[in-house]
Amino acid sequence: MPDGIILSVYIIASVLFILSLGGLSHPESARRGNVFGMAGMAIAIVATIFGRQAGHYPIIISMMAVGGAIGAAVAQRVQMTAMPQLVALLHSLVGLAAVLIGVANYLDPAVDHQGVDQTIHEVEIFLGVLIGAVTFTGSVAAFGKLQGLISSTPMLIPGRHLINIVIGVVCIVLGYQFISAGHAPDQLIPLLVMAALAMIFGLHMVFAIGGADMPVVISMLNSYSGWAAAATGFMLSNDLLIVTGALVGSSGAILSYIMCRAMNRRFVAVILGGFGTAGGKTAATHQGEVNVLTESETASLLQSSKSVVVVPGYGMAVAHAQHSVSDMMKTLRANGVTARFAIHPVAGRMPGHMNVLLAEAKVPYDIVLEMDEINKDLPSTDVVLVIGANDIVNPSAQEEPESPIAGMPVLEVWKASTVVVLKRSMATGYAGVDNPLFYRDNTCMLFGDAKNSIDEVLKSL
Amino acid sequence: MRICVPKEVATNENRVAATPNSALSLQQLGFEVWIESDAGRAAGFLDEAYAQAGVTVMGDPRKIWDEADIVLKVRAPDRHPSAGFHEAELIRSGQTLVGFLWPAQNPDLLEQLARRGANALAIDAVPRISRAQKLDALSSMANIAGYRAVIEAAHHFGRLFTGQVTAAGKVAPAKVLVIGAGVAGLAAIGTAGSMGAIVRAFDTRPDVKEQVKSMGAEFLLLDFDEEGSGTGGYAKVMSDEFVQAEMELFRAQAREVDIIITTALIPGKPAPELITSDMVRSMRPGSVIVDLAAEQGGNCSLTQPDKVVTDGAVHIIGYTDLPSRMAAQSSEMYANNLRHLLAELCPEGNGQISLNMENEVIRAMTIVREGEITWPPPIKTELSTTDSGDALDTTIPKSIVTEQKPNTRQRAVTTLIGMSIGILAILGLGAVAPASFMAHFIVFVLAIFVGWQVVWNVTPALHTPLMSVTNAISGIIVIGALLQTTSPSFLVLGLAAVSVFIASINVSGGFLVTQRMLRMFSKE
Repeated sequence: MPDGIILSVYIIASVLFILSLGGLSHPESARRGNVFGMAGMAIAIVATIFGRQAGHYPIIISMMAVGGAIGAAVAQRVQMTAMPQLVALLHSLVGLAAVLIGVANYLDPAVDHQGVDQTIHEVEIFLGVLIGAVTFTGSVAAFGKLQGLISSTPMLIPGRHLINIVIGVVCIVLGYQFISAGHAPDQLIPLLVMAALAMIFGLHMVFAIGGADMPVVISMLNSYSGWAAAATGFMLSNDLLIVTGALVGSSGAILSYIMCRAMNRRFVAVILGGFGTAGGKTAATHQGEVNVLTESETASLLQSSKSVVVVPGYGMAVAHAQHSVSDMMKTLRANGVTARFAIHPVAGRMPGHMNVLLAEAKVPYDIVLEMDEINKDLPSTDVVLVIGANDIVNPSAQEEPESPIAGMPVLEVWKASTVVVLKRSMATGYAGVDNPLFYRDNTCMLFGDAKNSIDEVLKSL
Repeated sequence: MRICVPKEVATNENRVAATPNSALSLQQLGFEVWIESDAGRAAGFLDEAYAQAGVTVMGDPRKIWDEADIVLKVRAPDRHPSAGFHEAELIRSGQTLVGFLWPAQNPDLLEQLARRGANALAIDAVPRISRAQKLDALSSMANIAGYRAVIEAAHHFGRLFTGQVTAAGKVAPAKVLVIGAGVAGLAAIGTAGSMGAIVRAFDTRPDVKEQVKSMGAEFLLLDFDEEGSGTGGYAKVMSDEFVQAEMELFRAQAREVDIIITTALIPGKPAPELITSDMVRSMRPGSVIVDLAAEQGGNCSLTQPDKVVTDGAVHIIGYTDLPSRMAAQSSEMYANNLRHLLAELCPEGNGQISLNMENEVIRAMTIVREGEITWPPPIKTELSTTDSGDALDTTIPKSIVTEQKPNTRQRAVTTLIGMSIGILAILGLGAVAPASFMAHFIVFVLAIFVGWQVVWNVTPALHTPLMSVTNAISGIIVIGALLQTTSPSFLVLGLAAVSVFIASINVSGGFLVTQRMLRMFSKE
């Protein structure tokens, strides 16, 4: 296949990828968008293989088949509550692939550049391997934290900022050495050493970030995987890779920005790997009595109300309560109650996590509203059920300038007539901040496992 | 210890101080519970129900008093109608009596109880703090009274409460004025409103305005500079000028409204007279006044306690037993209040009570202790509290808001600096890099902008599928690996093969999980 055709296929694939992302503006067009993406990927791969740009067909076909099968099996089986972990794992694979391709490219005798070209090429390889390595181990660490294999409290080694700076400086030195020494085989060593250091940095950076910041971390790693792909594209002079990498990179960057804004944290602070985390500002502790409700009292409360809003949080995901909640909402709506969901941007461990869990529980998406849409309706709502959420409904964010979560946009649930909070105990959320919402006069607590509590409430409805 | 609940001896008192449910809870606290036979009959709680709840039912009222360690009552001790004794004579030393004892109005009773060496707790002396709300029987009874007041008004009122447009003509909604927006007043506002009437309310305390409005009623504002909030969340006696202005307001309202429900009380003093006979005469025929302050003298000059008076064509209802008329509900709530009180007195749940004078609530309610009169309690320095708990301050503190202003200016400067650096960097790059690189670089920069635009349009509900699909398309790195498989080097081939394998997992996993997720999103 002549080069021109291959390049035009690449252009078509790029367009299809852009349309794929564009389709995600609405659930109706999203499915079509995914198909476009698959089509784009397919034609690009086919063109590359049949354009005789690849060799050793038996090997690559078998590799793709096996890899494809594994991917398909995982996609079928993964539980929606484990989506963040899956996404983290997939990021790590992209990072690893970037590292391997970068090293292979360096070793490839078929690749030959001279002079400035060579320098630039080596810079590209260096950057590709660097970003890929950080993405690889960072994502593995994120997977560990999400899966609960590693503790979600931030691991703060004393002098960690110094360590990060030292690693950074060493990498720059290695880079300089790598590039200026020309294309000698033993220059592989600085490259590999840098890769190892970058991997350590990746682990360290994510270890130092707390579980509540995971949405930002995953979005950030998503972005890095894009830049790694783009760097690989530069390295191989492949525009399709560059375009795709840029798309993914900016997508991840936007998500990170949205997550940071929703937590009122500085984007730069989080990127620098915990450099600017608020070092334990003490919040005012709250004392007082809480009103306690039983499941049957909650059921009667719901039955006598005209409008109900449910605020799901990570706790609901952990308890796998989304199906029970969905059934309860269906019953309420059948009885003529206006029942809706309110989703805070950082609810859950990943952007959009709650939406997926609710979709899985067959909740129609038009009753699932974002924070900005529903905040204004809360004062006229009769009952708000807060399920497994804590910091996202904490009034301290608006009322206490000293609180670690001050300034964070929250769902103003206390403005409703009655709030019922489903919680296992009075323990604090991830920010470690007391929540004065629990002690308000119009708030009641329903203690217990979310799923059990909702099932009991459902029985009484 | 043994708790005994006698049948109420006061005429027309249908309430009972314990229900089968509350008896169960009391037993869980470790107490033994006895009740006089038929004590709960008038409230709809039969002896069998009590027996099933583990309560011992006794026929002889004397025995109930004799064997008790704690006596729970509704009303203060009174003369028994048929058995010929006065309940106060039966109180023994060491017994604890709990009920509506009204210490301010019953100094003789306090003397008697003290002489007999008993203890007494007045449930009407509960401090008006958040913690004590669950023991506050005044509020729970007032709530019921407010509701029932509206029902009685509707019963005596000849027209509909709710407005209607019917084929037989248009019906205007009834206009209701509620004077006093305490617990009873708010309950009346809520009930009248839910029955469809137009409700207006007045109170001397300006902080209740928000509560009134939140119930959908209009708050009548008196243009006067005096503020009516006294201590403990109650109103205080107002100056004569204020009262004059108040009465003018009521006079004007009386001509317009159909129903007036008055609840104005001042603790320890007679109820203020707010509705004079000329106001009553100016009301439209068929109007109804419900005077919830009848027992304390009445807010209306024509009120006669326990009766319905008709003046011209206006009915003035002076019932003083509204909670008793809803004995089933009020007994349940009162019994619950008592149950919480017992829990407060018996924190260990071992069936023994201790009158802990350090406990703010218990101290306020204990009027006689071990033969000493302990009422009134020492006055605590009041922090400002309102009747319904903390007034929630919903204004965002200044320090959080003003931070925003310098930020926007700061951001503009930062953006400008960022753009300048970016432009200089690109120029610098162009100076050293070859054209082939710059060609790729153009593509890179443009792709970033396209991505930026496209991704901002993604709906937040689909952010998770966005991440999985971007994952999938970053599997395009497989092309890079494929391109390397033409290399003669075995090592390179090996690395490339592994990369192909890994990237394929990404591609198929990413697209398929995205598809699975998107399939789940459905509209109704």
